[in-house]
Amino acid sequence: MIENFPILSLIILLPLAGGIAVGLIQDIHIARRVALAIAGLELIVTLVVVNLFDAANGSSFQLIERHTWIPSLNILFLIGVDGISVLFLPASALLTLVAVIASWKSVQHLTRFHFALLLAMEGGTMGVFVALDMMLFFLFWELILPPIFFLIGLWGAGPDRRGAAMKYMLYMLFSGVPLLFALIMLGVNHAMQTGGNVPLDLSFSFPVLLNTPISEDLQKIIFLLLVTGFAVKAPLVPFHTWLPTTAVEAPSQLTALLVGLKLGAFGMLRFAMPLAPDASAKYAWVLGILGAITFIYAAMIALRQTNLRRVLAYASVSHVGLVIVGVATLNMQGIQGAIFQLLNFTLIASCLILIAGLIQHRLGSTELIHLGGLAKIMPRLTTFFFIFAFASIGVPGTSGFPAELLLILGALNAHPGLGIAALLGAILGAAYMLSFMRRAFLGPVIHAHLSRVMDLRSREFGLLCVPASIVLLFGFFPDLILDVNRVAATSWLNRLTH
Amino acid sequence: MDALVILIPLLPLIAGAVIGVGHLWGVLDGEASERTTAGIATWAISLSCVAALALLAGNFLGWTAGSFEAGQWLDSGSLNVPVNFITSGFSMVLATLFAVLLFVIVRFSVNYLHREAGFHRFFFLLSLYASAMLLLVLSGNAVGTFIGWEIAGLCSYLLIAYAYDRPVAAYNATRVFITVRAGDIGFILGIGLSYAWAKTLDWNQLNTFAAQLSAGQASAIALCFAIAAFAKSAQLPFAPWLARAAEGPTPSSAGFYGAIMVHSGVYLVLLLQPVFERAPLVMALVAIVGLLTAIYGFVVGLTQIDVKSSLFFATSGQLGLMFLECGLGLWELASWHLCAHAVVRGYQVLSAPSLMHYILGNPIRPVGREIAGMRWLYTASLQRFWMDQVTDWFLVKPVRRLSHDLAYFDDHVVDRAMGIPLPSLRTISTLAQMEKRKIATKQSLYSTLGVASSLTLEKRRMAPQPEIQDSDFARGSGFTGDLTRRVTAILYWFEDRLVIRGIGEDMIAYGRRLGLAANKIEQLLLNPGYLTLFVLTILLVAL
Repeated sequence: MIENFPILSLIILLPLAGGIAVGLIQDIHIARRVALAIAGLELIVTLVVVNLFDAANGSSFQLIERHTWIPSLNILFLIGVDGISVLFLPASALLTLVAVIASWKSVQHLTRFHFALLLAMEGGTMGVFVALDMMLFFLFWELILPPIFFLIGLWGAGPDRRGAAMKYMLYMLFSGVPLLFALIMLGVNHAMQTGGNVPLDLSFSFPVLLNTPISEDLQKIIFLLLVTGFAVKAPLVPFHTWLPTTAVEAPSQLTALLVGLKLGAFGMLRFAMPLAPDASAKYAWVLGILGAITFIYAAMIALRQTNLRRVLAYASVSHVGLVIVGVATLNMQGIQGAIFQLLNFTLIASCLILIAGLIQHRLGSTELIHLGGLAKIMPRLTTFFFIFAFASIGVPGTSGFPAELLLILGALNAHPGLGIAALLGAILGAAYMLSFMRRAFLGPVIHAHLSRVMDLRSREFGLLCVPASIVLLFGFFPDLILDVNRVAATSWLNRLTH
Repeated sequence: MDALVILIPLLPLIAGAVIGVGHLWGVLDGEASERTTAGIATWAISLSCVAALALLAGNFLGWTAGSFEAGQWLDSGSLNVPVNFITSGFSMVLATLFAVLLFVIVRFSVNYLHREAGFHRFFFLLSLYASAMLLLVLSGNAVGTFIGWEIAGLCSYLLIAYAYDRPVAAYNATRVFITVRAGDIGFILGIGLSYAWAKTLDWNQLNTFAAQLSAGQASAIALCFAIAAFAKSAQLPFAPWLARAAEGPTPSSAGFYGAIMVHSGVYLVLLLQPVFERAPLVMALVAIVGLLTAIYGFVVGLTQIDVKSSLFFATSGQLGLMFLECGLGLWELASWHLCAHAVVRGYQVLSAPSLMHYILGNPIRPVGREIAGMRWLYTASLQRFWMDQVTDWFLVKPVRRLSHDLAYFDDHVVDRAMGIPLPSLRTISTLAQMEKRKIATKQSLYSTLGVASSLTLEKRRMAPQPEIQDSDFARGSGFTGDLTRRVTAILYWFEDRLVIRGIGEDMIAYGRRLGLAANKIEQLLLNPGYLTLFVLTILLVAL
């Protein structure tokens, strides 16, 4: 019975329906609880999916559901998971749950709308991860934008939140255009290859398109378009400036979601490279260089920042760079490291941002001049910040280490220059993180009013314990994650390198 | 019997975890639970001490196999990292020695840190460090050793910053961590190269494989590990970090920089003896660096006036001698030297505070006659050969400058080129600040107006109030912004012409064409992507 149950549709529809329900409930307290319950239920359902997933057969799509959607263009409602995507589902669900709890009391106006949007965004995100029809994917891709736009614009923490929302929106709309072009070209190419009848022979199904022959020239164009589209979302230099702006202006729970869900890098891994395999194999070095530049460039800028949220935003950009380097290495360590690191940062980067949000909530600022000596006043908060910060710079014992080790070894194996760039970036990472930590958390308490500030409440403490223990768990047992995507990564690699 | 080796690093780790979690949850806190914390830490380290001694005895009696594999840690493609240990030879001896020294240090700290504010934190870190150090010497593969290496470095960072409200301590801790991490590049490169050429990360296999490596390959691998060793064991050019590390509490100084952690560089070189022997140039480099550091440590040590610093420079010098011995191929001597030095220096650093107590009131002796006469050498020694300044000048400052320029470039060029910069990003970071500023400008306006009292209330209301404008909503600037504006202007012109002419001439024909175009647009809009775009645009306009 469970084999036929449309569990992936449930994953998409549950938060969407839940969002509507939350919007309709009049009582704020009940609405909040309903939102929490739905986010929790979603996490359980995603864990069931992981449980149903057969890792030994991870290279093929599983739990597939197929329905016709727009027959005239042969667009399907086709969803499924493989070893690459399956773990992103519980990670995103957990992240949303954490975001819901983190904004429990801090959102005071339009509360129901806020939680409804968070859930709607979760539904869209799940859709992006499981969609196997390119048009369906694009629909979900764009569907995430309106909730984010309103979340930044209405509950933003900064004075320029409207401008930031606008900026985010324009960047993302810009990223959608090349994606759509590439997807249409892929569909039309399929029609040309199979019969030449454009509306009838179109196909946007990802598994079908993977087997459609594509000429080398077309591959180059498609690769370029897809990479451009995903690079904006990832973000890679020079398309990254929306992230630091958003990080300062947006509410922390949303920033956590934005830096945590690395959809751009996921898109690169899932769609851009397998759909244009020859071009990717040939031009992977472009991605590698872009990634390395992003990694070091963003780390250098982070060294200079005075606002915690901007530091974390640039850190997030920087880490995406390393992930892209890993994807571009085209070897097993690089790919597995990239997937590992993406999953990692769903938790690490977002928890750091959430802690920054807690500081913002208590002190009204995350600017360095308003901080200093926080360790003395908020030892528990500082402890958690340190754990996640160490995970972010790849200290052993945390899940950041195996991922970074794989990425660096992969890069060294692909090209020594790439590896050395990655190593330099790793030192810069330690430098900006630690020097910021020194100035914000260590040292004497400069501002007298800080000494009245409260440490973590028990709700927040419990909230942070869960991701912290997961980070430590996967640091000690990295094979738990690697086992899930091993088969999928191998076949991914075979496709590109023959 | 060999399985006992797991317990040696595991027990302190568990103790550390228990103390850490207990302290975080508030169970172990304050003076009341000091005994519990101390008990956990002491029992764990003494049990691993016993395990190490038993294993060492078993080793001598020939009951052990010499290595032990506990399972798989990480497996990706051809990269395969097991959890394995060496249970024989110098590693085992050193592990036993370190375990005993660690036990002494833990026991010593129980009294030394009594009623200190960070008592529990200290024992958490010390237990974690003990575990890391024992893993470092016992691990059978490079990744395991590196894990111990890094965690020991991390504990060192956290213990130098033990008194974290002192700015100097916090600064030194950060500086030390980053310096040592720079050396870690060498370690990871070494791991990468071993994996690329020898296809193994196992120390024993790597050493066996050394014979098949070409001289160039062996030199590269040896050089990478040598750099890591120089950084960790405070050799030139990394040497100055050791003096900065004196900020931590005395027992931790003894554990890290006197007796144990600083020796891990020498241990790494000793461990890779076969690889180094294939690389004579690197051996020469090791000898030279060791010799120079020995001289450096000796000369600078002559002018130090506090006991910890002079001990640390002496340590640096002795470590230099060990590297010199390694470089000259006197491996046996170096390993004896290491063990002896660990014991003596550990004792000296631990007893340093009591020494201060005993010699209280004694006048400071003038510097030795060897150096007092040589003005330049004396100055150089006092300034520690300007090592820190040179690093600052050549490394830290350029990086800072570059990062400053890049940040400027990012804000002023990249962001503007993309067309949508946000003003006042730096000046105001929160809503509250904006409100404050608004009120402030209004107040200052009123106060200036209030001085000119001739103004009536109405006029005051009429007076222009400079509100901080909301950003020019949806208005681009910069290159793409300009481009968009121009394109829009052209389109507008085109539309204008079309409409004017259309009305004037053949309205019906144009209308039909427009209808067809609209049909096409509608078809396009049915495409879900465009549909979403369209809905979004409307949303944007409506807001």
